[in-house]
Amino acid sequence: MIEPVHLADFFTVFFSAAMVILFGALYALLFAFSRVGQRPGLMPLAYLSYLGLAAAALILARAANLHGPFWTPVVGLMLAGYLAAPHFIFRLCVDTHLVEDADESSLFPTRQGG
Amino acid sequence: MAALGIFDTANLNGGQRLAVKYFTVSLILFGAQILFGMLAGLQYLKPDFLYEVVDFSVNRTLHVNAMVVWLLYGFIGGVYWLLEDEAQHPVVGLWLGNLIFFILTLAVAVVVLVYLIIQVGPGEIESIWFINEGREYIEAPRWADIGIVVSVLVFFFNVAATFAKGRYTGVAGVLVADLLALFGLYLAGMFFTPNVSVDQFWWWWVIHLWVEATWEVLVGCIMAYMLIVTLGVRRKIVETWLYIEVALMFGSGILGLGHHYFWIGTPDYWLAIGGFFSALEPIPLVAMVVHAVFDSGVHKLRNSNHPALAWTIGQAAGNFFGAGVWGFMHTLPQINLYTHGTQWTPSHGHLAFFGAYSTAVIGFFYLAVQKSRGNVWMSGNIVGGWKWKWAMFWLWTGMIGMTVALLIAGYEQSQIERAMEGSTWMGYFAAQAHPWFTQAMNWRQISGWGFTLGYCLLVWDLLTIGKRETRPALAPQGEPATA
Amino acid sequence: MQTTPLWWASDSFWRKMAIWITGGSFIVLIFLTFDTLSYITAGGKQVPGYAVINQRIDYRFDAGKNRYMPVIGPEEPLFGKVLGEAEAEALVAKGKLTTQAKNCMECHTLLGNGAYYAPDLTKAWLDPAWGSKEVREQTMVDFLMNPSDKLHNVVGRRMPRLGITEEEARATVAFLKWMSAIDTNGFPHNFKAMDQSDPVQAPPAAAEPVQPAPPADAVPAPAQQ
Ligand code: HEM
Ligand code: HEM
Ligand SMILES: [Fe+2]
Repeated sequence: MIEPVHLADFFTVFFSAAMVILFGALYALLFAFSRVGQRPGLMPLAYLSYLGLAAAALILARAANLHGPFWTPVVGLMLAGYLAAPHFIFRLCVDTHLVEDADESSLFPTRQGG
Repeated sequence: MAALGIFDTANLNGGQRLAVKYFTVSLILFGAQILFGMLAGLQYLKPDFLYEVVDFSVNRTLHVNAMVVWLLYGFIGGVYWLLEDEAQHPVVGLWLGNLIFFILTLAVAVVVLVYLIIQVGPGEIESIWFINEGREYIEAPRWADIGIVVSVLVFFFNVAATFAKGRYTGVAGVLVADLLALFGLYLAGMFFTPNVSVDQFWWWWVIHLWVEATWEVLVGCIMAYMLIVTLGVRRKIVETWLYIEVALMFGSGILGLGHHYFWIGTPDYWLAIGGFFSALEPIPLVAMVVHAVFDSGVHKLRNSNHPALAWTIGQAAGNFFGAGVWGFMHTLPQINLYTHGTQWTPSHGHLAFFGAYSTAVIGFFYLAVQKSRGNVWMSGNIVGGWKWKWAMFWLWTGMIGMTVALLIAGYEQSQIERAMEGSTWMGYFAAQAHPWFTQAMNWRQISGWGFTLGYCLLVWDLLTIGKRETRPALAPQGEPATA
Repeated sequence: MQTTPLWWASDSFWRKMAIWITGGSFIVLIFLTFDTLSYITAGGKQVPGYAVINQRIDYRFDAGKNRYMPVIGPEEPLFGKVLGEAEAEALVAKGKLTTQAKNCMECHTLLGNGAYYAPDLTKAWLDPAWGSKEVREQTMVDFLMNPSDKLHNVVGRRMPRLGITEEEARATVAFLKWMSAIDTNGFPHNFKAMDQSDPVQAPPAAAEPVQPAPPADAVPAPAQQ
């Protein structure tokens, strides 16, 4: 089921795992800032962070022996999912806030007894 | 309403008065947690200290149980705090709530005294009923378990009935369902079995499904209320996002249980499930980051309570690092085989519990203090505002110091004890004697002093902030300052 | 300006999603729980019946599975007495109860969970530190009953006296022996179990069908500490 990490790779595993999350957050952060503030200049930096994420994920995959019929697809899914997540979430932000200016009574419940 | 800056419960509604009681005990138990943590930490450095008087196991039991109880008290307080506002109806069984508060607190005091004085019992079922259940975090003896369940049912009744009589909002719906799940799970930890695998299987239902699912959502509900009331964010949007959070948290958290089923006798398909859901785990965090940025760009927020806001931001960061980064570093089974049960685990446990939950409860404390003093000014230039900032600085510095020290110790242990020596008795002590380990224990203790200092400042600040303040609170955008 | 949000961004859509995702995950968890319980109830595929304490238990690397596995050996009754399944269960239950009443888990880890002040107990039964298999049982009982004068390590940590009676100590040893036979998916990795092979002149054991007998094991001399 798993091939345990080799002793020499411990540090690589910890470090690259942390980097996956940190770059993931940085990518999301820059992406959102770029869209919100209409600063297209930030977008290349966002994708650069994603590249960092992808590199960290691949290094992690190698060091943690994430190969074989189960783990390889998991890595693929991580790469695709993390790329798409900020896009998806941002759309969701925009669309959920469309009600913003129209709905003045929002401090009151939208449904009763529900 | 009493004069500004004077602590007076007349400023509060009935539920909020009860909440202040819970908050007070919560803050005291936080102090107890630190005291027993420091004693346990000291025993790493001086093993003969209090040996066979108050042993490490006793200090540690008190340390982790105090934590569970003070956080739960903070949550219960938080719920009572928002209940009347949210339901627009007085708490239905307030006198019962008050009665239960005293009974529960008395029970907690008795349990603590029994842990401290009686400590252990004979290997009979009576010991589990009256002294100690011997299962980390949920040691409370069975009689207390039953008392807790009863108290909690009363609490649940109060919440559900108040919402039912008043208005039943979206936040209310999530809150009620979540409380039901939270307390239902507790029952999974209440039976004896000789089978240690079965025992730990259900034990993790309580521990993991609390901290990585139901507690997260509970804090989410209270935060949602805070966003609506203190920042004037629109209810419909906040509620939609609460649902999104529930979907993401429960979607990744429930089967995320798998990361505790790697090595306890459970079948090896859990290695795959645990690994897979660990990979999903960053998604809720990404959602949080994007949404926070979006919100701060859309709303020009004016904040009426700076300490509470600072602790809320700290909560987001703490959750991100403690659960997100620290969690992901050791959660894949390929590496968890070596980090499992080393100082890696408490490194993550400390940062995650403090980052995700203590910060939130401290934020509620500040909200409560503000309103108890007649809704005084708590924005920029608070009189004596250095205290909350330094309290926050020392609590965080101490916590980060402890976490990093334990991380270094765990890194060494995972290699020497787990990988090289294969976790034998000799291997264990070889790792414990290694300079990286012994020095880390020193640094943990030093950082612990920093944390203790932060706690003292926090208590002082909570008792005095706003006292000499004469300005009323800043009204949040578009809303009169009624909360 | 829009009064009703897009369907996929509406609160009612996400309320339903929250309910379905939570409910769905929970149903999967229930299903997995039933399946897992069939593995972990005593006598299941990964957790042995209690009468396993009548046999020799070893822990070795399994090349096929690429991990360590418990190996159930010939009959080697605990304290020289063969027990029926019910008697064995009662003894292990007493031992487990003792570990809870004394709160072992707030210093030690069991199956890797608990506290980190003292060694992991998952394979304590097999630990070479007990000397040899001939003296192990009694050494363990003596230690549990009176550990405070037995300094085991350079860091000066000692287990306290917890008022464990002889009966409780024997039961605890039974519990530990039983626990060491649980198949924990290879945790702890690389554990060097005590040599339990019989002295060469001893007659061959009666029934040894489960033992794959890897040759590497026969070579080293009996481990001393
Ligand atoms: C706020 C959320 C969280 C809190 C409060 C928390 C707290 C804890 C605590 C206290 C433990 C130790 C339990 C024990 O005593 O044995 C633990 C273990 C663990 N946590 Fe978390 N955790 C959180 C989130 C996460 C997340 C998101 C992940 C994974 C991505 C994670 C992965 C783990 C793992 C793998 C272990 C087992 C460590 C071992 O093998 O010894 N945790 N957690
Ligand atoms: C001065 C501050 C503190 C000190 C000195 C301290 C010390 C300790 C010590 C010595 C242990 C036992 C670890 C072991 O078994 O080796 C422990 C465990 C623990 N502490 Fe603390 N602690 C402190 C603050 C906190 C805080 C603020 C929290 C959470 C809000 C916390 C949560 C925990 C948890 C969850 C465990 C169990 C971890 C596990 O089993 O993995 N501690 N602490
Ligand atoms: Fe977990």
